[in-house]
Amino acid sequence: MRHFTLTAVGADRPGIVAGVTGPLVGLECNLEDTSMTILRGRFAMVMVLAGPDRLEAKAIEAAVSPAAEELDLAVWVHAIDESVPQSVEGDTWAVSVHGADRPGIVHRVTAVLGGAGVNICDLSTRVIGPEDRPVYAMLLEVVIPPDTDSDELRRRLEALAEELGVACSMHPSGADVL
Amino acid sequence: MAVRAVLRLPEAVLSRVAQPVGVVGSEERALAADLVDTMRASPACVGLAAPQIGVARRAFVVDVTGHRKARSCHGTVVLFDPEILVAEGVETAREGCMSVPDLTGDVARPTRLVVRGLTADGGERVLDVDAFEARAVLHEIDHLDGKVFLDRVAGPSAVFRRRVYR
Repeated sequence: MRHFTLTAVGADRPGIVAGVTGPLVGLECNLEDTSMTILRGRFAMVMVLAGPDRLEAKAIEAAVSPAAEELDLAVWVHAIDESVPQSVEGDTWAVSVHGADRPGIVHRVTAVLGGAGVNICDLSTRVIGPEDRPVYAMLLEVVIPPDTDSDELRRRLEALAEELGVACSMHPSGADVL
Repeated sequence: MAVRAVLRLPEAVLSRVAQPVGVVGSEERALAADLVDTMRASPACVGLAAPQIGVARRAFVVDVTGHRKARSCHGTVVLFDPEILVAEGVETAREGCMSVPDLTGDVARPTRLVVRGLTADGGERVLDVDAFEARAVLHEIDHLDGKVFLDRVAGPSAVFRRRVYR
C-alpha cells in the first residue's frame, strides 16, 4: 500500500467529484481523508489516497487527465511518506478574527499562534461584505499545548487585533463524551 | 455486574433500532448494572446506551453529576423504553461518543425535555431535564434509534477529528 495526495482545482460545476474519483476506482485506489470546498467559485479538493504498491503518481495523473481536461481542472498528484506525523496534544480552541480587509492578517495572527507552540488544525477565511468595503473573516481550530498559557495567548492576540484594527476572540471548543 | 466492551462503528447493532423492553425483570436489571459499571469505567463518559454494549434493547444510563455544563442533575439515571413527552428550545454544542472515538461533531438539540420511562425497579419515572442532562438523554435515545451524532450534524464543516481522547 502506498499513499498519495491528489489536489484538484477548477471552476465549480456538477460532476467534478464523480469525474475525478471514477478513474481512481479503476486504479484500485481508496480515498482516505479528503477535504473539498468552493473558494470564490472554484471547487477545490485535496485527498489522501491509498493505492497498490506498484502504483506511481504519474500513472494516477495520467488516469485522471481525460476527466481533468473535460472538467477544466488543474490536478496534481504526489506520493507521500508512509509515516503519519504526530499532532500536538492539548486542548482544542476556536479562534475567530474579523474586520476590515487588509494585507497580512493571516500571517500576523498565525505567527503569534506558531510562536506560542499552538498547532492550527483547521483554518478557513472568507472575504464578505460589499466590494468597496470588504470584510475579512478568519476561523481557526487550534490545539493549545498544556504548557502554553491560554490567557497570555489571548492577551497577545487581542493586542495584535487592536494593532490591525480587527476583532479577535477565542473560546474552548472541546467536545463532551456522551 | 460487569464492565463490558464499548462497541464502535461500524458494528451493525449501533445502526439498528433497538427493541422495547416492555417489562423489567432480572435480565433487564443486570443490563442496567452493566451499563452503569461500563459508564463509570470511563471517567469522561456521562452516558451509555444498551446498543453500545451490544444489546439491542431500549435502555440507557446517564449521569451528569459534577459536569460544568449541567443544570438539572438527577444523579445516576437508568431508563428503559424512554419516551419524550416534551422537547423545547435549541442549542448547538460539540459532542463526542465512545462508539465514534476519532471524531466529534456540533449537534443542535433541544435544551429542555420531559422524558418518561421505566426504572430498574419496574416503576414509571418522569424526568424534567435541561441543559447538559437533556443533551445526554437525547444522545442516548438516539443510540436506541440506531443513530449516532454523525447522523445529526449540519454538514461536513460540523465534524472534527478528535486529537485527544481522555
